[in-house]
Amino acid sequence: LGGTALTALAAAPGRIVLPFENGERELVAYPQKRPLILLTARPPQLETPFAIFDQGDITPNDAFFVRYHWSGIPTSIDLNTYRLNVGGNVNQPLTLTLDELKQLGQPVEVVAVNQCSGNSRALLAPRVGGGQLGNGAMGNARWTGIPLKTVLEKAGIKAGSVQVSFNGLDTPPLGDGPDFVKALSVDQAMDGEVLLAWQMNGADLPVLNGYPLRLVVPGHYGTYWVKHLSDITVLDKPFDGFWMNPAYRIPDNAGASATPGVAPAKTVPISRFNVRSFITSVADGAQVAKGRPLEVRGIAFDGGYGITEVAFSADGGRNWQAARLGKDLGRYSFRRWSIAFTPPRKGAYELKVRAVNRIGQSQPMDPLWNPAGYMRNVVESTHIVAV
Amino acid sequence: MRPILFALSLSAALAAPAAPAASIDLPPETALFKPSTLPGYALVQRNCMLCHSVHYIQSQPPQLPRAYWEATVKKMKKPFGAPFPESEMADMVDYLVKTYGAERPPASGAK
Ligand code: HEC
Repeated sequence: LGGTALTALAAAPGRIVLPFENGERELVAYPQKRPLILLTARPPQLETPFAIFDQGDITPNDAFFVRYHWSGIPTSIDLNTYRLNVGGNVNQPLTLTLDELKQLGQPVEVVAVNQCSGNSRALLAPRVGGGQLGNGAMGNARWTGIPLKTVLEKAGIKAGSVQVSFNGLDTPPLGDGPDFVKALSVDQAMDGEVLLAWQMNGADLPVLNGYPLRLVVPGHYGTYWVKHLSDITVLDKPFDGFWMNPAYRIPDNAGASATPGVAPAKTVPISRFNVRSFITSVADGAQVAKGRPLEVRGIAFDGGYGITEVAFSADGGRNWQAARLGKDLGRYSFRRWSIAFTPPRKGAYELKVRAVNRIGQSQPMDPLWNPAGYMRNVVESTHIVAV
Repeated sequence: MRPILFALSLSAALAAPAAPAASIDLPPETALFKPSTLPGYALVQRNCMLCHSVHYIQSQPPQLPRAYWEATVKKMKKPFGAPFPESEMADMVDYLVKTYGAERPPASGAK
């Protein structure tokens, strides 16, 4: 049926060592992707090599991270048979082709970060089980689609509805395990910001990033950004599938933190990103020249209030200076920052960066911890030596 | 968020039928369980590659204790639905913690 076969390039014989015990990984080129850090081959789970974040505000599609839960993933999708079903507690159930969906309203776009809940999990101390990710399970893209609200209004949400659930074409490969299904409150589903997106960065979604349609939930962890979206169901009671409870829960306190060995008293579903910032222009362990000006650059982002301030320290956090903020691509986007730093003497420097958002939220100097290894956002340190 | 120019959305709509399908071929999977004389070695090969590659196991932090591997093997059975019998769990956990976890023999090092 005229499908394009996007065959993988031969894997580059590359390897990379991430900065934690048992962090050796292969770099493998999956279809529509450049060589990325291979976490698991089946299902494909790929992490973006960190140096790519220094190259611009936008993460290229072929470098964007990949996360799946079940290995029954769609590897061949035909738009002649693909349908989006909207049903449940609605007046008018819908079955839409992608073209019909595109005709429902004006396309909109948003630049938004997608970040895995477990991004940076492998950097926790003590370590926890789960996907052993460095800092590369995040990316920033320009998403094009139509508001979820438009589709739900067309279907007509009945009175008494409380949540909306989302299912995609990926399935358990065998057995009776829980299909990957997520839910949002009706209020959030109708906020006009959640998108049904068919493009990222001006091109069709790569298959591994959810072709032909995915949910985009700006400011919220990737677990909600359901890929290969096929079913939207309006519910009159809260959805309680495995992937909402007990999976993807955080301790119900301000820092989502817990003490190792002590079960959190109460948990809630993970939701918005906390504030994060990174140095991208110089790697930990780098050597630089004494007396030569260095441009230190990086990225910062938060859950959608917008980054208003980025501070830089070259002495392990004793003294801080305001960095210059780059172009504002919107409050859900990476915000680039930069500052000039000239190492005045030979020796070791501990560089730190810390961001603040519009409502004053920032990052902790000491890492917080929780049992699932979610939401790490400590002020990171980059150690360099001037020679 | 902002609306896109009408011209762009129109041309996108006209262009859409040109590529009505996408298909990909995934690269081959190469990871294998570490050979061992422990009885669990044969069992994990039979039971633990049905739904995912060995990467899930071999990438876990090497200091995780027996309790982690017990809980994980249990989780694979319920709720994830792994079809292995309960009677094979103890041997698999023993192999896993002695090969990838906290009970590795000191000489073998971390992987
Ligand atoms: C019926 C399917 C199935 C079988 C069989 C299975 N697993 Fe899994 N396993 C899963 C799923 C699904 C996940 C991923 C959960 C996620 O993405 O969050 C997983 C994840 C894991 C992880 C990663 C850590 C974690 O908790 O996410 C480990 C380790 C693991 N499995 C070990 C095993 C071992 C050991 C066996 C055999 C004894 C096994 N699995 C058999 C479904 C299965």
